[in-house]
Amino acid sequence: MTITAPPAGAGARQQKRRLGDVWSDRVFRAVALAAGLLVLLILGLITWVMLSKAWSAFKYQGPSFVTSQHWDPNSNSFGAFAYIFGTLVSSAIALVIAVPLSLGIALFVTELAGKRLRTLVTYVIDLLAAIPSVVYGFWALAVFTKPVQTFYTHVADTIGKMPLLSRLFGGPASGASFMTAGLILAVMITPIVTSLSRETLLTVPQEDKNAALAMGATRLEMLRVAVFPRVRSGLIAAFMLGLGRAMGETIAVALVIGSSAQVTSHLFRTGDTMASNIAHNFGEAIDLHRSALIGLGVVLFGITIIVNVIARVIISRSNRSLWEVVR
Amino acid sequence: MRPSSLVDSSSERGLPLSASLSRRALRAVAVISVMALGVAACGSSSKKSSSSSSGSGNTSGSSGSVTLNGSGSTFQKNFNEAVIAAYKSKAPNVTINYAGGGSGKGKTDLQTMTVDFAGTDSLIKTEDVGKYQGGKVLYFPTVAAPITVSYNVSGLNSLKLSPETLAAIFSGTITKWNDSQIAADNPGETLPSTNIVIVHRADASGTTNNFTKYLSQAGGSSWKLGTPGDSLTTWPSSSQAGQGNAGVAQIVSQTNGAVGYVDYSDAVAANLKFASIKNKSGSFIAPTVEAAEAAVAGSTIAEDLTYSPLNAPGGTAYPITSPTWIILYQKQTSKSKGQALKDFITYVLGDGQSLANQAKYAALPASLQQKAQAQLSQIQIPTS
Amino acid sequence: MTITSPPATPDDATSILRRSISTRRRVKNGLATAWMIGSLLILLVPLLAIVLYVIRKGAHVMSWSFLTKDIPIVSQFPGGGMYPAIAGTIVITGTAALLAIPLGVLAAIYLNEYGKQHRVARVIRFMADVMTGVPSIVMGLFIATIWVSSGLHLGYSGLAGALALACLMLPIVIRSSEEMLKLVPDDLRQASDALGARRWRTILSVALPAALPGIVSGAMLAVARAAGETAPLLFTIGVIRTANWNVLHGTNTALSQEIWSNAQTPFPAQLNRAWGAALTLIAIVFVCTVIARVVASRFTIARQ
Repeated sequence: MTITAPPAGAGARQQKRRLGDVWSDRVFRAVALAAGLLVLLILGLITWVMLSKAWSAFKYQGPSFVTSQHWDPNSNSFGAFAYIFGTLVSSAIALVIAVPLSLGIALFVTELAGKRLRTLVTYVIDLLAAIPSVVYGFWALAVFTKPVQTFYTHVADTIGKMPLLSRLFGGPASGASFMTAGLILAVMITPIVTSLSRETLLTVPQEDKNAALAMGATRLEMLRVAVFPRVRSGLIAAFMLGLGRAMGETIAVALVIGSSAQVTSHLFRTGDTMASNIAHNFGEAIDLHRSALIGLGVVLFGITIIVNVIARVIISRSNRSLWEVVR
Repeated sequence: MRPSSLVDSSSERGLPLSASLSRRALRAVAVISVMALGVAACGSSSKKSSSSSSGSGNTSGSSGSVTLNGSGSTFQKNFNEAVIAAYKSKAPNVTINYAGGGSGKGKTDLQTMTVDFAGTDSLIKTEDVGKYQGGKVLYFPTVAAPITVSYNVSGLNSLKLSPETLAAIFSGTITKWNDSQIAADNPGETLPSTNIVIVHRADASGTTNNFTKYLSQAGGSSWKLGTPGDSLTTWPSSSQAGQGNAGVAQIVSQTNGAVGYVDYSDAVAANLKFASIKNKSGSFIAPTVEAAEAAVAGSTIAEDLTYSPLNAPGGTAYPITSPTWIILYQKQTSKSKGQALKDFITYVLGDGQSLANQAKYAALPASLQQKAQAQLSQIQIPTS
Repeated sequence: MTITSPPATPDDATSILRRSISTRRRVKNGLATAWMIGSLLILLVPLLAIVLYVIRKGAHVMSWSFLTKDIPIVSQFPGGGMYPAIAGTIVITGTAALLAIPLGVLAAIYLNEYGKQHRVARVIRFMADVMTGVPSIVMGLFIATIWVSSGLHLGYSGLAGALALACLMLPIVIRSSEEMLKLVPDDLRQASDALGARRWRTILSVALPAALPGIVSGAMLAVARAAGETAPLLFTIGVIRTANWNVLHGTNTALSQEIWSNAQTPFPAQLNRAWGAALTLIAIVFVCTVIARVVASRFTIARQ
């Protein structure tokens, strides 16, 4: 095939086009850029609007907003510590349960499963991720809390009698509690943590794994030698993203945590989270109470953003290829 | 976070399909979006109903359809629903939405004029009066009803409680059902040793307000939780909270050992058992419509039609009877909406009262009904 | 002892070596394998329990009249349906999609075709990632504060809910669309360029259609996520008992919101409708997810 020379006089035009100087290109680029900047605009707006609406409560309450446990709209006292505690504790329980579960499933998919099984499991994980939060909460409230309370009572009567564990698992047990919220959250964040873990695990080249196997390692040993050291930061990032997700979860938690805030080590007791408090009360709050609830939103926003940012910094600090994958 | 499933299939399969197929897909997406836009646009042009904010009145004349929005107390919700359903046949072109959400929500929504009327069981605080953007607010009492002390304890089929015991239970001082104080109120009954689980409201509530007011008034020093109000948060640690009266009823009905305060209508519908409470005269009275009527009859009505039947005198009066009002602005801003609202309230105070008993509420005594109907003339409707 | 030929596959190797592995190592390996398989089985338990239960309870109420009747004014009355909630979910999620998808795809185009690794693009990319982690209730609070209850007196509306959902969907659409655009090989773009097409023409006629199946798939997943959300709607759309297809005016409701409010009552009539709504919602979300997968796998062909 012969390539004929471009027509004379087209050189200047081509140059202009290549430089993207044509107005249509510029307009399109500007529109696309504007759409991208929309992200920054929205995030900035959220931060600014929430901060300014929460300001009156923050100013009124001062730093005791996050340190005091006394939250009483009647007397205009807004110490959010019990709610922050609830958010952190329920998310921590969720993470403790979800991490081994998700890692196990991710390893199953990458190491044990054949092609067919892999697709099937991925479908199953997708379906689990697709179930709306309110359905989880409804089912848990209607079906799960009663039998699980019996289970807790058994635990409280056995393990809960032991010296240290009684602080965590002592009775009386309530079906609606930190523990139940943590359990439901664990099921909800497992899909995300699993798929992120899986992608992290996939970045390890098969050759390295084969090398370990060829030297006589069992599968577990191969993982410990060839895989885990390399994916550690990716996995940690995945877990942190799961944690962020758990902390932001509102509806399922609001239905099963008991909505009665307290700071306690007993996981079988009722509690409340920041998001749940907002969900129950924002509709009717006025003035300082409303401002304080938005303040709760700011604290929640801040904590989840910090967790998210840390997760992504961890990835970007390490392997470049990991950054490409888990991003 | 990347959608892993997508990347997987893509990285395994690589190259995209022919452009023509994708162009068809693009066209399909465009058509669907235009259709969706069309549906939304059609919706906006075919519906002549007014917007939800009462500020922008849509004067489509008395023959056009009018929508009235209200929110607030869940205590009166069942009665409101019964009346709204019956009113539909009287005024088919008027659509009334009552959102519930708690007295606090109703008051807030009315302040910002997001609704046309609000339901509340508690009064507007003096310091909040200035926040009502539409000016003066009128209280229209509609019904009254008992606040039941509903319980679910296996092995316990009847319960009598004095206000001091009740206050001690809800303050967390008494923790087991076989406590000596409860036994003293119930001589001869064998009480189970189950733990008490208190159930209260998660949202701001006029019911909470009235219940805690009663406990602090009648319970005296047994009440340990401070000032009564719409959103009490000093509840003891073994408590649970529900959203709305129905939410409390739900938790009580599925938790053994639970006791909570629920409006009569919801408690009956949920098949809960109620405690008989000792009233001011010393008799243990069960919550019934008649006992509530007796309590209202014994109360003093203020000029603005507010009153409190809590701990009312009278041998047959139920001591935890709650009043409830519909509040709205004296000065209406829209002719069509204002008239529709006035007509609706007239119905509620007139024929609507006959629906009260069946809905498990106490109708207003004749004197109060007349005063309320007289107040209707104070509603100012613009002439155009 | 002579070893005749090396084992052909890793499996053969492991089976030979298994005979020479100490018990301790074998046990540890076995436990690890049990952990992997066990985790999957453990996860299946709640999934099956929830899905089967919702199907069972929802099927009791499900019928054509359930899908087309209004919500009864007297909540405790049995019967009625969830038609207003279905209409609300469709119209609110649809509007949110209409807002978020074009903007998201445009932003992805900027990130992948123009910005690439420049400072502004990197910042946008990072912030989009961060935005995916913002709790949905914060989006709801945001819109409730600046739109619903602001001085503009806009009040509750389907549009307010759609705005909150669009904020939720936007970063998801951006990130997935960018990934899809990245997968389009540069040769295609260069070919178009060589033929004399403008940059924007190349993007719209070559890159975008090539990435379209993946973009549509990602968009469907975002729509599925948005359809299931409750918190952003609680303070933005209000309530209603009849269908309101007008997203701009008047209060609205949605399946997720109806489940939330009906779940917190003890009344069989309300609970039954809630199960029906849950089944409907799960069906919608599952269908969107399955379509997303099918589009992604069907419309891409294997690399030669």
